[in-house]
Amino acid sequence: MKKAKVLIVDDEVAFADNIAKLISKRGYEVTTVNNGQSAVEALDESDFDIIILDLKMPGLDGLATLKLIKGKRPGVEVIILTGHGSMESGIDGIQLGAFDFIMKPVRFEDLHEKIRQAYQRKLVHEENVEGLMPDSQ
Amino acid sequence: METAESNHPTNGEGPKERQYSRLYRKFVFLTLISSLVPLLLLGWGINIYYSNFSSARMKEYFQSQVEYHRKIIELFLKERTQDLQLVALTHSLEQLQKQPNLMRVLDAINREGQYFTDLGVISEQGKHFAYIGPYDLMGKDYSQTFWFKELMEKKVFISDMFTGFRDAPHFIIAFLRFEGERRWILRASIDTDYLRSLVENVKIGHTGEAYLLNQAGIFQTSPRSSGKIMGKAPLAVGQFKEDSGIRILERDQSSPGPQLPKQIVAYAWLKEPRWLLIVKQDYDEAFRNVNHANQATLIILLLSFLGIILITVIITRTMIKTIRKRDQESDQLNKQLMQASKLASLGELSAGVAHEINNPLAIILMENQVVRDSVEETPTLEEEFKGQLQESLSQIDAQVQRCNLITHNLLRFSRRTISLIEMVDLNAFLREVIQLMEGRGKGMGIQFNTTLEKDLKPILSDPSKLQQVFLNLITNAMDAHEGKPYGSISISTRSNSERQGVEIVVADSGSGISPENLERIFDPFFTTKPVGKGTGLGLSISYSIIEQLGGAISVQSEIGQGTQFTLFLPFGPAKDSQKNLEEVPDQPSLQDPEKEPRK
Repeated sequence: MKKAKVLIVDDEVAFADNIAKLISKRGYEVTTVNNGQSAVEALDESDFDIIILDLKMPGLDGLATLKLIKGKRPGVEVIILTGHGSMESGIDGIQLGAFDFIMKPVRFEDLHEKIRQAYQRKLVHEENVEGLMPDSQ
Repeated sequence: METAESNHPTNGEGPKERQYSRLYRKFVFLTLISSLVPLLLLGWGINIYYSNFSSARMKEYFQSQVEYHRKIIELFLKERTQDLQLVALTHSLEQLQKQPNLMRVLDAINREGQYFTDLGVISEQGKHFAYIGPYDLMGKDYSQTFWFKELMEKKVFISDMFTGFRDAPHFIIAFLRFEGERRWILRASIDTDYLRSLVENVKIGHTGEAYLLNQAGIFQTSPRSSGKIMGKAPLAVGQFKEDSGIRILERDQSSPGPQLPKQIVAYAWLKEPRWLLIVKQDYDEAFRNVNHANQATLIILLLSFLGIILITVIITRTMIKTIRKRDQESDQLNKQLMQASKLASLGELSAGVAHEINNPLAIILMENQVVRDSVEETPTLEEEFKGQLQESLSQIDAQVQRCNLITHNLLRFSRRTISLIEMVDLNAFLREVIQLMEGRGKGMGIQFNTTLEKDLKPILSDPSKLQQVFLNLITNAMDAHEGKPYGSISISTRSNSERQGVEIVVADSGSGISPENLERIFDPFFTTKPVGKGTGLGLSISYSIIEQLGGAISVQSEIGQGTQFTLFLPFGPAKDSQKNLEEVPDQPSLQDPEKEPRK
């Protein structure tokens, strides 16, 4: 199984770095950026399987970023991180095509579990797409 | 039972009461001024006008009286003079010298009334030629009397009253007749009784009277009050005048003798003889009616005064009472508004705080995980140290979770969300809730009593939120029994058709809440539970939930007796809660993501 590529988008540098550290140890290829704009740019440079996206960010905010991401790479699975207050925005995020949302503060195990689920879904999804369109490869 | 409201305004009452009584005095004063001053002016005006009017009328009356009587007297004297003239001119001296002729003439002129007492014919020298009458006057010499001399000049003469030879007051009319070369005089005495009755019978009230005075101020008739015919009148007569007049005689303090009261006097001069007719009355009596009217006015005025004062006082009392009631109502409303706005702003604040705290908490959790990973990856660590470290890391996790719970509750308190509205059968719903709590209740010796209204109309509300509220209330009720071996919690429902909703009462027999605490019971973070046992958010959240659902929650409590929460829930969802949600469009429903969000 190839390494899943994860992009972490969070303006809290310490938080983003920690997650990066933790999940890269668990066998993922991780990139971190600290704002929405960089996230969209990062998509151009490389292909990601999973994006962990904080909703509350200065500049381009989470939901706007999500729209841009989904416009560019509809297949990428996005996990939204949200404070309690913006839980409703988390639901909005799901409507916009995010995989799920997690409320901060989150235990690492829970986050890890979500990442695993997201990756699995991504894989299943890709298989389906391949199955439906065998000529595309 | 004492409520928080009734306990509160004890210290603000003094100045407020003073304000009310000041207001009361002001109202009474202004009303009295504005009604009594015009009343006084009116009364005064009416009094003056009426006095002047009636005084003028009274004077007119007296003047007309005096003129009328003057005319009657003058007419009488004129007729008698004409009678005499007629006799003198139609008879010769020879005819009248004969006693029977003279007698016949006297009878003839007395045919209409006994006006003439006697009739005499007197020579140029003043000797009686003939005489008919009750006195023996034949042969008397009149040549030296005052009237004889005057008659020689005037031809006709009417005398003043005098006693003359007969020693009785009388007056005479004499006519000088020229018969060729001869001159003779026809003279008659007038029955004074008749003239006197003409004047003396004028009666006006008790003190009103009329009398005649001659130019010397001698009574020609007897006045009723004081003085006698031929007596001297106590007032100055003055000069002869054509016109009649009227005078008010004040009490003359300077003159000696008996004091005459203030009098109204009308007077008129007769032309021949020059007698002064006087009609007079005591001023007080003449104006008694006016005074009566004035007194009546005064009494009416006084009664109006009292009436106005009474009505003013009553009206002002009522008004102040109404104002006081309004004030109290608005005070209460203000208190409720303040409570609501306090909770709203606290909600905003706590939402902000919760947000800000969540981020560092997230970082702490992640750091924790990093350390945990490092511990796992480091095989050289001593077992004991490793165990200790892992325990601490778990403790950090647990404490972060605790913080998490707090921020979670804070956000729940502040958040406005669309409710998941369903039909709720409150009775069944409450039974379920009680069932949930019954187990714990039994352990504490607490019994649940329910008085649920039969056939209660179901309401449209959010059952999950309601469950939160009632679980919270029941938990609090149970906690209020701490230290008591047993107790009870009563829950009742009752529909209120007037307010279009249901009233639910949750009452416990617990320790009660002190009035100071009762006021702050819905404030976030206010708790009487020991540190770590409660966040102080339960009732705040309940309050905001019930408000969102368009209901109301209130509390009554008495120390040692227990506490009673009264909830009101409308049959249908409140309209303004919908409106609130429209204003916050980017905070849609907090719903199970599986379900279709309502948007």
